[in-house]
Amino acid sequence: MTMPYISRHPLENRLPLEPGIRAVDHMDVPRGTAIATVMAMDGEDAAVAAGLAVAGDMSLRFVAPGEWLAVSQSDTPEGLCRNLSLLLAETASVFDQSDGRVVLRLSGPNVRRILAKGIGIDLHPAVFEIGTSSNVLCGHISINLARTGENEFELIVMRSFAESLFDDLRLMGREFDLSADFSAQG
Amino acid sequence: MTAYRLTSGGLVDRGANLDFKFDGKTLTGLSGDTLASALLANDRLLVGRSFKYHRPRGIVTAGASEPNALVTIGKGASTDPNTKATVAELYAGLDARSQNRWPSLKYDFGAVNGLLSPFLGAGFYYKTFMWPAAFWEKVYEPIIRRAAGLGRVVLERDPEAYEKCWAHCDLLVVGSGPTGLMAALVAGRAGLRVILADEDFRLGGSLLAETTRIDGVSAQAFAEASLAELRSLPNVTIMPRTTVFGWYDDNVFGAVERVQKHVAMPQAKLPVERLWRIAAKRALLATGAEERPLVFGGNDKPGVMMAGAMRTYANRFGVAAGRSVAIFSNGSAGYQAAHDLAAQGVEIAAIIDSRSDVADVAPAGVRLIQSGSVIDTQGRQRVSGIVVERSGFEETIACDAIGMSGGWNPVIHLACQRGAKAVWSPELQTFLAPDVGNGLVVAGSAAGRYTLVGCLADGAQKAAAIAADLGFSAPAEAMPVVEEDIDPSFTALWYSPGAKAKAFIDFQNDVHVRDIGLALREGFGHVEHAKRYTTNGMATDQGKLSGINATGLLAAMQGISPADVGTTTFRPFYTPVTLGALAGTSRDEHAAPVRKSPLHGWAQKNGAVFVDSGLWYRPAYFARSGEKTWRESTDREVRNVRENVGLCDVSTLGKIEIFGPDAAEFLNRIYCNAFLKLPVGKARYGLMLREDGMVYDDGTTSRLSSEHFFMTTTTALAGGVMSHMEYCAQVLWPDLRVRFCSSTDQWAQMAIAGPKARLVVQALVEDDISDAAFPFLAAGIVALKGGLKARLFRISFSGELAYELAVPAGSGEAVADAIMEEGRAHGICAYGLEALNVLRMEKGHVTHAEFDGRVTPDDAGFGRMVSAQKPDFIGKRLSTRYGLTAADRMQMVGLKPVEADQHIRAGAHLLREGAKPSTLNDQGYVSSACFSPTLGHDIALAFLKSGRERYGERIVVWDKLAGADVVAEVCNPVFVDPGNAKLNV
Amino acid sequence: MASLIHCPHCGVRPKEEFSIRGDASLVRPDPEASDEAWHDYVHIRSNPRGRYREHWQHVAGCRRWLVVERDTFTHEVFSVTDGAATAREAGR
Ligand SMILES: [Zn+2]
Repeated sequence: MTMPYISRHPLENRLPLEPGIRAVDHMDVPRGTAIATVMAMDGEDAAVAAGLAVAGDMSLRFVAPGEWLAVSQSDTPEGLCRNLSLLLAETASVFDQSDGRVVLRLSGPNVRRILAKGIGIDLHPAVFEIGTSSNVLCGHISINLARTGENEFELIVMRSFAESLFDDLRLMGREFDLSADFSAQG
Repeated sequence: MTAYRLTSGGLVDRGANLDFKFDGKTLTGLSGDTLASALLANDRLLVGRSFKYHRPRGIVTAGASEPNALVTIGKGASTDPNTKATVAELYAGLDARSQNRWPSLKYDFGAVNGLLSPFLGAGFYYKTFMWPAAFWEKVYEPIIRRAAGLGRVVLERDPEAYEKCWAHCDLLVVGSGPTGLMAALVAGRAGLRVILADEDFRLGGSLLAETTRIDGVSAQAFAEASLAELRSLPNVTIMPRTTVFGWYDDNVFGAVERVQKHVAMPQAKLPVERLWRIAAKRALLATGAEERPLVFGGNDKPGVMMAGAMRTYANRFGVAAGRSVAIFSNGSAGYQAAHDLAAQGVEIAAIIDSRSDVADVAPAGVRLIQSGSVIDTQGRQRVSGIVVERSGFEETIACDAIGMSGGWNPVIHLACQRGAKAVWSPELQTFLAPDVGNGLVVAGSAAGRYTLVGCLADGAQKAAAIAADLGFSAPAEAMPVVEEDIDPSFTALWYSPGAKAKAFIDFQNDVHVRDIGLALREGFGHVEHAKRYTTNGMATDQGKLSGINATGLLAAMQGISPADVGTTTFRPFYTPVTLGALAGTSRDEHAAPVRKSPLHGWAQKNGAVFVDSGLWYRPAYFARSGEKTWRESTDREVRNVRENVGLCDVSTLGKIEIFGPDAAEFLNRIYCNAFLKLPVGKARYGLMLREDGMVYDDGTTSRLSSEHFFMTTTTALAGGVMSHMEYCAQVLWPDLRVRFCSSTDQWAQMAIAGPKARLVVQALVEDDISDAAFPFLAAGIVALKGGLKARLFRISFSGELAYELAVPAGSGEAVADAIMEEGRAHGICAYGLEALNVLRMEKGHVTHAEFDGRVTPDDAGFGRMVSAQKPDFIGKRLSTRYGLTAADRMQMVGLKPVEADQHIRAGAHLLREGAKPSTLNDQGYVSSACFSPTLGHDIALAFLKSGRERYGERIVVWDKLAGADVVAEVCNPVFVDPGNAKLNV
Repeated sequence: MASLIHCPHCGVRPKEEFSIRGDASLVRPDPEASDEAWHDYVHIRSNPRGRYREHWQHVAGCRRWLVVERDTFTHEVFSVTDGAATAREAGR
C-alpha cells in the first residue's frame, strides 16, 4: 500500500484551521518550518559560526556555545539539512528537528509585558537586542526565544510541550486580548 | 457621636458616596476613603477584639502597621481574612466583618479571659498546657483555637486569578513620599529606568497629610505635579497599590500589586493580585518612619490612636477622630497634630508632654501639661477621659480620643531582611538601617531625616549619586522650597510611669509591660526569647508598632542601652502576602506542563484511558465496549499481543542523537557493557551505572553510521540521563570529540509486537525486513511506502517478535493509523502501559521498579554484561567493591503463588516459612507483580537473598498491607519463552 | 542561594533555570586509584561555610555545566565559568 502520510501540527486542537480576527497583540503559528540542530565539532565553533553567517535563506538561533538551531520558512526539512551538511561538511553535525520543534511568533505593543509574566530575563530592547536569541525558561518550560523586531519575538518549543506553552501564553496574554492563529502563508 | 466627617477638606470626593457594609450594617463613605477612614467617619471606633483577653480595640494607625483594625472582606470563596481596614481602599459594595469576637463585637464571651488575666501572663500557654501530652491535641488546642482565632481561612477553592511577573530596572524606589518622589524625579530625568512602587492607592506618602506648601502650592498639588512629570517619562514605571515585601539575593525584590482588590466585580481577564519579582540594579528605600506608640496605662482603648494617624485622617480623609482630643507626646509631632486638628475645629482637651522645658508651642488656648504622665484612661468601649499624673498629683481630663506620639521608628525592614542587623542611633534614639552596600540605599525619614526639606534633599542627592554610579549624568537641580517645616525631634519614653491599668506594648497579641518584666525575670530576656515567650511582635502585624518598644523596655528594665538589646530578626514578608499571589498561575492545569506524545490523538481515537507518567500523559489501556475494568482491557491486550499483534506508543522514551569520531568511545565509557565495536545497523541493550556501582538506567543504543548513534533511555530518566551525559562529556572528558542532542520530540516511536508483527510492518515498509535481511537487533533507516523515511529497530520488550518504528513526529498519527488499518486483518490492537508492564514481567524484563538505586547489574542478572576488559567506565571501580559482590546479595527471581488463585503485590517482603516477620528475618522484597493472562495466575519479580540458587524453594510473601501471607515458589524470572524461540523467527 | 546567576554563555538568569550537582573541586580518580580515593570521590562531601565551588547546570538555557564559585553564607557569587573550560585548564 502507498500512503501519503499527512503531517499534523500539535496545535491543531488549539487553533482554528482558518485565520481569525487579529488583535493588536497576536500569536502567529507558522506551519512547516524547517528547523535543524547544528553542533560544531570540537574546535570548530568559529568556523561553523562563520559558515552559518553567510548561509542564506535561514536564520540562526543561539542554543549553546557551538550549538544553534537553523530555522527556515522557505526550505524543506530535508533541503535545510542537506544545505547545512554541504556547507559545514565535517565541521559540524546536523540533525533535523522540524517535527520536534514548534515555532510561535508573538507581536504587538504589549508583547514584552506578556512575556515578562513567564520569562525572567530583561527584555528591554537595549538589553535583549533585535537579532538576539537564547534558550530561556518561560514559566515551567524551556524555550528558545529570539527577538525579531522591537515588538516581535519568536519562540521555539519542544513539540510535546507546545500545547502547554500555548495555553500558558494565552493566559499570559489574556489581559491584552492576545489573539492566535496559524500563519496564512502556510 | 465622637469621630465624624469634617465639613470640608481632605483628598476625598465629597460628591461620590460609596455604600459599604460593616458587620451587616450599611454605612456610607466617600471615594478616596480607606475602610478605616470611612468607619471613623461613621463613628465606628470599635473594630475588633484582641487576641488573648478579647479586649475591645479601635483603629490605631492610618497604614500598614495597624495592629487592631483587622477585618474580613468579601463573601464565600472570595473572602479575605485579616485585612487591615487602614489600607483597604473603599469601594461601593465592600462587605467587611469584624473578627475575633463571639457572639458579637460589642458583647464578647471571650472577654472573660480579661477577668482571668492574672493567670494569663507571659508563657501561660507553655506553663499550663504541658501535661498530659495527649490533652494538648484533643482538649487544650481546640479550645484555645476557637477562642483565639483570628480571621478564618476559607476552605473553598479561590475563584480569583493571580499571576507573577518579572520587572527590571536601574533604580527601584520604594515609597512615594517626598523622598521617593524626589529620587524618582532626579533618576527619571537622568534617564534611568525607574520603578516607583508604593503600597498606597494614592501616591504621595506623607505629603498627602501635609499642610505646608511647597514651591508655592499645597503639598498635595506638589505631589500631583511630580507624579504627572514622572508619568510623562517613558523610562519611569509607577506602581501604586504595590507593596515591596522582600529583598532577596542579587537585589531581586518581591512585590505584590493589588490589581483588583479595590473593585466589587473583578474583571476576568485581570488578576486580582500580581506578584512581581523586580531585578533592580539599585534600590532606594524611601519608606518613611512609623510613629512610635507610647506605653501607658489603659493605652489600648478604642479612641487611643497615633497622633500622626489623627493628622492623616483629618488632612487626607477629612475625618476627625474625636470632638475633644487629648494629645500625649514626647516630641514635636504631637504638637503638629494638635495644630492641624485645632485648625479643623477639633477641640484639643490638653497636651500632655513627658518632657519639661519644651520649646514646642501648643495651639492658642490649649492647656499644656509638661513632665506629665498618662497613667490610666477612662471609658469602657471607648475613651471618655484620661488620668494624668504630674509631680504626684493626679487629674482626670475628659476627652473622647487620645493622640499619642512617642517618636519615630524608621521603616527599615527591607534593609534588614538579608541578615544585617539594625543599628541603634543614640542621637536619634531609634534604630537605623545598617550599611548594606550600594545595592540598597535608605533615604529620607527612613534614614532618620524627618524634616520635609531633609527628605526632599536626601532623595534627590542619593538618587543623583546612584545615577552617577551607573554612568548617567544627573544635572544639578534647584530643590523645591518648603514654606514651613518642623523637625519632629523627641525624647525617648519607653514607659509612662505610674500606670494604674495594663500598659500594652503589642495590641494585637495583648502583651503588656508586666509580661516583658516576667520574661526578663524568668530568664527570657534576650530579645528573641522575650518575643517568643511573651508573643510580642508575633501577631499578623509582626511587631511593626511593638517591636522597638519591647527592645526599649528590655533595655530600660536592665539599665542597658537598646543597642545592647538589639532588634528581633526582620524577615520577608514585610506585610502578609496571599498564598494565591505566591502561587500565581501555577495551579490547576497550569501547575505543571503536560507533555503530549505525537500519538496522543491516535490513542484518543482508539479509546485510550490516560495516566500521568511524569509530565507525560500516556495510554494506560484502551477500553473497548463491554470491558468494565482496567484488568479486562489489559488482559485482552496482553493475550492479543501474544497471539496476534499489538501497537504501543513508546514515543516518550528519551531519545538522544550522538555524533562524532569519539561517539563510540563515549558510549563505551558511560555504559557498563561494550559499545566500541557495535556494528553499523545494529542495536544493543545498554546498562548505565552510577559511579557507586548501582544501576542508573537502561535502554537500547543503535549505530546508524560509524559516527552517529541513536540512544533511547527510559521515560522516567530521560532528563537525568541527558544531564549525566552532558556532565560526562563536558566535565569528565572534555577532550572527547562527541556532540549530542535530544531528539525525543522529533520522533513518534511505535512498538509493533506479536507473532504477526512482521506481516503488518512489511506491508508498510519498502525494504525487506525478513528475519534473514533484518534479524533480531537489526537497526536502520527504511523507507515507508509513499516515501517517508523512518527508523526501524528489531528490539522487543514483550518477548515477542517485535519492531520499533520511528517516524517524524508530525506524521506519527498518520503512520499509526496506517498500521492499525493494515493490521486489522491480523487482529491488531492498541496496547497501553498496563499491558506493556505485564508483557515485560512475563518475559522477566526489568524497569525502574527493579532498578531502584540499590540494585547492581549482577543483582538483576546482568552480571556477565559488565565488561571486565574495558579500562574504565562510569561505575566500574566501585562495582567491584566489598559488599556489591557478596554472595548473599538479593538477586532477582520470579515468584508464582503455590495456590494459583492467590495474589502477590509489589512491596511485599519475603520470609522463610515459619519465620517471624522482622528485619533480621527479611529475605527480600517483591519489586513488580501482576496477573499473567498468559499463565493464568499471578507472577512477580522479586529480589531474594542468593535468589538464583533457590529456584524451586517455597517462600512466604508477607504483605502486611494486604493482610494476607501467600506462599510462593521461587522460579526463573523469565516466565514466558525462556529460550527466546519467539524472538528469533 | 543567589537569585540571579550570570551564565557566561546566556547572561543573567533566574536561579530556577539551573540545577545544582555539588562540589566542583572533586577530580574523578584514575580507575586504578585506591579504594580511599574512590570512596572520597563518590561519598564524602564537605559542607563548608564560606567560599565553595559547585557544578551547576544551566538546564533551561545552554545546558552547559558551569562552575559557580559562591559564598554559602553571604550568598555572594564570585565567578561563573564554563565547566569544560575549567576541566581543560585543570588538565583533566
Ligand atoms: Zn547558559
